[in-house]
Order: sequence, then C-alpha cells, then structure tokens
Amino acid sequence: MNRHLRHPDRAGTPPRGRRSAAALLAAALLLGASACGGRATTHHKPGTSHEQATGSNGRLLTADDGSGNRLRQVDAQGAPEVTVAARPDSEDGWNVHLAVRNFRFTPDSVGGAALLGRGHARLFLDDHPLARVYGTWFHLPKSLLRTAGGGTRLTARLYADDHTAWAVGSAPVQATTTLGGATSTAPAPTLGTTVEISVHDGRVSPAPGRTEVRKGRTVRLEVRSDRDDTLHVHGYDKEARLPAGRTVTLTFTADRTGLFEVETHESGLLLTQLVVR
Amino acid sequence: MTALDDSGAVSVLAHGIGAQHDLPLSPFYAFAGAFAALFVSFLALGLLWSASRFRGDRAGRPLPAAVQRAADARPTTRIVVRALGLAAALLVVLYLVLGPADPERNPAPGAVYVLLWVGLVPASLLFGPVWRLLNPLRTLHLLVCRALARDPAAGRPLPPRLGTWPAAAGLLAFTWLELVAPDPASSTALLLFLALYSAAQLAGGALYGARWFDRADAFEVYSGLLARLSPLGRRPADRRLVLRSPFNGLDATPQLPGLVATVCVMLGSTAYDGFSDAPSWITTVQTSALGRTTTATLGLLAAVALVAALYALCAGATRLLSGQLPHPLTAFAHSLVPIALGYLVAHYFTLFVTEGPRTVMVALGTDNPASPGPPLGPGGVATLQVLAIVLGHVLGVVAAHDRSVRLFPPGRAVAGQLPLLVLMVAYTIGGLALLIA
Repeated sequence: MNRHLRHPDRAGTPPRGRRSAAALLAAALLLGASACGGRATTHHKPGTSHEQATGSNGRLLTADDGSGNRLRQVDAQGAPEVTVAARPDSEDGWNVHLAVRNFRFTPDSVGGAALLGRGHARLFLDDHPLARVYGTWFHLPKSLLRTAGGGTRLTARLYADDHTAWAVGSAPVQATTTLGGATSTAPAPTLGTTVEISVHDGRVSPAPGRTEVRKGRTVRLEVRSDRDDTLHVHGYDKEARLPAGRTVTLTFTADRTGLFEVETHESGLLLTQLVVR
Repeated sequence: MTALDDSGAVSVLAHGIGAQHDLPLSPFYAFAGAFAALFVSFLALGLLWSASRFRGDRAGRPLPAAVQRAADARPTTRIVVRALGLAAALLVVLYLVLGPADPERNPAPGAVYVLLWVGLVPASLLFGPVWRLLNPLRTLHLLVCRALARDPAAGRPLPPRLGTWPAAAGLLAFTWLELVAPDPASSTALLLFLALYSAAQLAGGALYGARWFDRADAFEVYSGLLARLSPLGRRPADRRLVLRSPFNGLDATPQLPGLVATVCVMLGSTAYDGFSDAPSWITTVQTSALGRTTTATLGLLAAVALVAALYALCAGATRLLSGQLPHPLTAFAHSLVPIALGYLVAHYFTLFVTEGPRTVMVALGTDNPASPGPPLGPGGVATLQVLAIVLGHVLGVVAAHDRSVRLFPPGRAVAGQLPLLVLMVAYTIGGLALLIA
C-alpha cells in the first residue's frame, strides 16, 4: 500500500484550474472544427477518427510503446502518474488497484483527441496486452492470465484517449508489480481442490477419474473446451457456459457428501467424478 | 444407434435418473463383507442340516380369515387396486405426451425408473407379487375381453419351452433402456419403449390368454421372483394367504425354462450398473471407436453373459461331481434370487429414498424440487450395502444347501454343493468389488 491508495479520489482529480482550461480548450477545438471544416467526411466526429490525433497536448514521439502505439511526451511537472498494486482474490485471480495522480479515466471519450491528464490504462502481463482499464479497480481472473500465456510481471500504463501512451522523458508512464510470490499464498485456495480439465476433439484430458474432496471445502473446476459447450455439476446443479477455447472456472462449496459427476451437456462427456466425503 | 450420440442428448451414463450416486465403498467394509460371506459359506457346509427341511408351497401359517376376505374381496380391494394401476399408467403416459420435456420437471421418468422399477422390490418383498394385480396391461386385456364377452383365460396353450424367456428378454430390453440408451429419461425414448413393450405384451395376451402375462411380462416375473422372499404368500393347494419363511417361498420357485436367464439378467444388469460408474469404463465408452451406445450395449451384454457363463460352468461342475441331475441348470437358479436382491438393494437404496419422494413431489405440482437428503450418512449407506449383499449371499447359500441335500445322495451332498458355493462367493465378492469401483 502506498499513500496514493488512501486518497484515490483526490489523487485522480487534476487541479481545478487546469481542468477548466482543458475543458475550454476542448470546446474550442470542437467548435472550430465543426464551424470551419464543413461536413465531416466520415461518420466520425471531427477529432475522433482512428488516426492518432496530434493535439496540442504534449509532443508525439516517433518511439512507440512496444505494441504500435506512439508515445506522447509531456513535461514532468504535472504529468500523469500511476502506481499499481495487486492482491489475491479469495475466489479467483487477483484484485488490481491503480492509483493515479494528475489523471482521470474518461471511458466516454475514448477514441477522441488526446487531452492532458485524461484517458485510460492498459494492463500487460510480461509485456503481453491483457486488458484495457477504465477505472481504478479491476478484477483479474486467472483465466485471463492463462489466455495471455501466463506470467507474473503486471504492468499498468497510462494512455490518452487517442491511444497514444503518455510519456515523461521518453519513457511511458507506467508502474509494475509482481503477481505471485509471497502474497499469492492466500489462505482460501489451499483449503480447496482445483481440478484442471481440457476437452479436445471429444477427448477429455486428463482421462476422467475421481477427485476426492473433503466435505465443506471449495472445489474449483477449471475447464477448457475446444467447442462451445455447457459445464454441469450433477447433484449440486451448477452450470457454466464453456465458450470454445476459453478456460472457465466454476467454484462452489462441496457441502453434500456423495459421488457427483461433472460433465459437459452438449457433447455429453464425463469430465470427472467428485467424491465428497 | 451411434448416430444418436451426436444429437446433443443429455448424457446419462449411469442410472436413467438421479443426480447423485453413493460413495464408493471403503475397502474396510468390503473386506468385512467378503470375510463374512466366506465364513458363513463354509460354516453352512459343515453345520447345516443334512436332510431337506424346506417344504416349498406346502408351508405357511394361514392368515386369519378376515384378512383373507379383505385381500380377496373382488368388488373392492382387487378392482380398486387394478383401477389404481391403470390410472397410474394412464397418468404416466399423459405426462409423457403432454408434460414438460425437461426430465427434471416431468414425473414420468421417475415414475418408471424409480417408483416402478425400484419400488417393485420393496413392494414385492412386503406384499408378494403385486405387479400381477397392478399390471395395467393385464387389466387392459381383461377389459377388452369383457367388452368382447370373451374368457380372458381363453387362448392357445403356451409352448412349454417358452418358459420365462420372453420376460428375460423384456428385462434385458428395459435395463438396456435404463443403463445404455443415449437419453433414457427423454419422453420420446420412454414412449417408444412403452409402446413397443405394450404392443408385444398385448399381442401375446390376445394369442395365449391372460396366462401369457404370468410368464412373459418382465415386471410380473421380476416382481414374482422377488415375492418368493416375501413372508406373505399364497398356498396353491387351498388358495390360502399364509405367512411363511422366505426359504419356503424361494424353494417353491417354479423351475421354468428361462429362469436362469431371468436371474442372470437381473444380476448382470445390476452389476453393469455398478460397473458403468467406474471412470475407467466411462473413459472406454467415451473414447471407443464403435460409438458410445454400441460399446455400452456390448458392456451390458458382456456382464449378463459373464454371469450366465459362470453359472453354466458351475452347473457343469456340479453334474461332474454328483452324477445325474434332472435339470442341472435350473435346479439351483432359485438360490441366486436373494443374491440378486442383495445387489438391487445395495445399488438402488439411495436412489429410491431420494428420487422416489422427489418424483411424487413433481407429480403433485412442485416445480423442479430438490431431492430430500439421504436418510443415512455415508457410513450408514456403506453398512447397508454390505449387509444387503452378505445377507443375500447367506440366504442363497442356505437355499442351495437345502436343495442339494434333497437332490444328491447323502454321500455326495457336500461335494455337490461346492461348485455352487464357489460361484456364490465369486458373485458376492464381485458385487462388493463393484461397490468399491
């Protein structure tokens, strides 16, 4: 925890004077564009095309952020700042918190022109893009981590509305934290049983077997199917959609004893049997 | 048949119905059961009587005349029970045709697989061959005969070699539907089966008269065999209702052709039911190149064939050891009925006490109710399962012992029953092993 986390609202709001100036500037730009430019040639409002706008906010550098978005350099004084913290969730994955300074999340105007101190954040896992974030809190499910290929280094980087990355001194404004390590051994997962199953071409791997579960413990089923399907736990009547190629996690508490079958509905495959004693 | 596998059918690889299975038996219970079975077997060999004691049909203590009158009262009891059977059957058919397609919300599958199929076991054990009275097909045949002013008993004589073979085939077809068919709880599957089964039975009834149902109706024969173990029976000589020892009832089992087949289907299908829960078998079925339904059908047939082959082997050995026997195959078939009963209780007790009330709740209008929790804890169920199997074994051993001292000359009686004893121990240990699997 750093000091920004304690005052997220204040930290996220730029100074009042700068804010109104920026708003006036934006209004002037919009008015000017619509007054002089006549009809726009596309359905996009002026300044909202897919091209990276070269607004007067900062200086576009030729360098990019590593994934094709150019950097937008601003003065260190009053530049956006970010710190990131992640803590394990009791059920699944991580809760990620971004603390920002001199920055506001503006999901409404994404795709528009870059305005200083506004935009969104992006999360990267070992430099692979993970998600775009429009707020300070974000739940990061394990399935998403797996889809991204796994990793432990979580980076949050701030972007302007036109998808250029804010930068100070030629380096993007970003913060990095490590997933796992000492904080990942949360008490909840150790009490439960995790079963990972994948279905490919009508074949279940690992081959259907029995999973012993102590009554009252948490069962986490992490299932990945190569076709759209429905996951069903008999007896507990838990169901989850299984979109093709995505890992779906179904978590529940095994509160009844017995032998219960976990299966897919469309393909009618038995995945495993839960032996709850 | 394999084409059905791709139709998106809800997979029900085990029972036709029911969401929960019993826990696998812990080896402790299984070993305790196996030792008890072995111990009792050899104790029986050494200590039991050396001259036959069971008197079959002639035994029994008559019930008071008032009870007999109430049970036999034609206008009230018997007609009311027949009407109830017919009304229940009509209700099931109506639910199948008009009811919701979701088996969770339609009471018909539960009525067939739980209330009828499993419920016949306790009903027959308590009250005797109840399906003979409840059987809607028999009642239908009776009504049509009345309407045509025909004697229901009129018809060609049954071929003597037919025996209960049609019933064995009917049982196999029903257990195939329950345990193997791709979607046994669907209305389509049940309606198709019931239509075919009823058509065959009614045709037989029209041809041979009401006696056809005695021999050929799968559920009547099933209920009748289990009713052999009921303390309540009817003495053929004077038609009196009597209280009798189950051993005497069992001893009076008619030795018809097809009896062995019927008992082997009962044992084999229940064994397959246990076996089909094992993950290794499910993997085999799911990955087989033959398709699921074909593989599972082969599995069911193999289970029945294995039970039958072991029995035939045992009958051959008995004949080798003890010389001539009038009907070596059927002479001891009755002693397998208690073993089959043990299998049935062990496999279906939980299903009956959880899904039975649930079916009734659905029929009474509750939308998709939760099953009531099992009345016994895991330890209780395991004890009950082992007790049922071992008790069935003991009853079987005693019945076989009495039969062998009657059939064999005194010097050969002990040796003569050895193969059967080995067979029963094999069935019992097999049954316990299936509960561990």
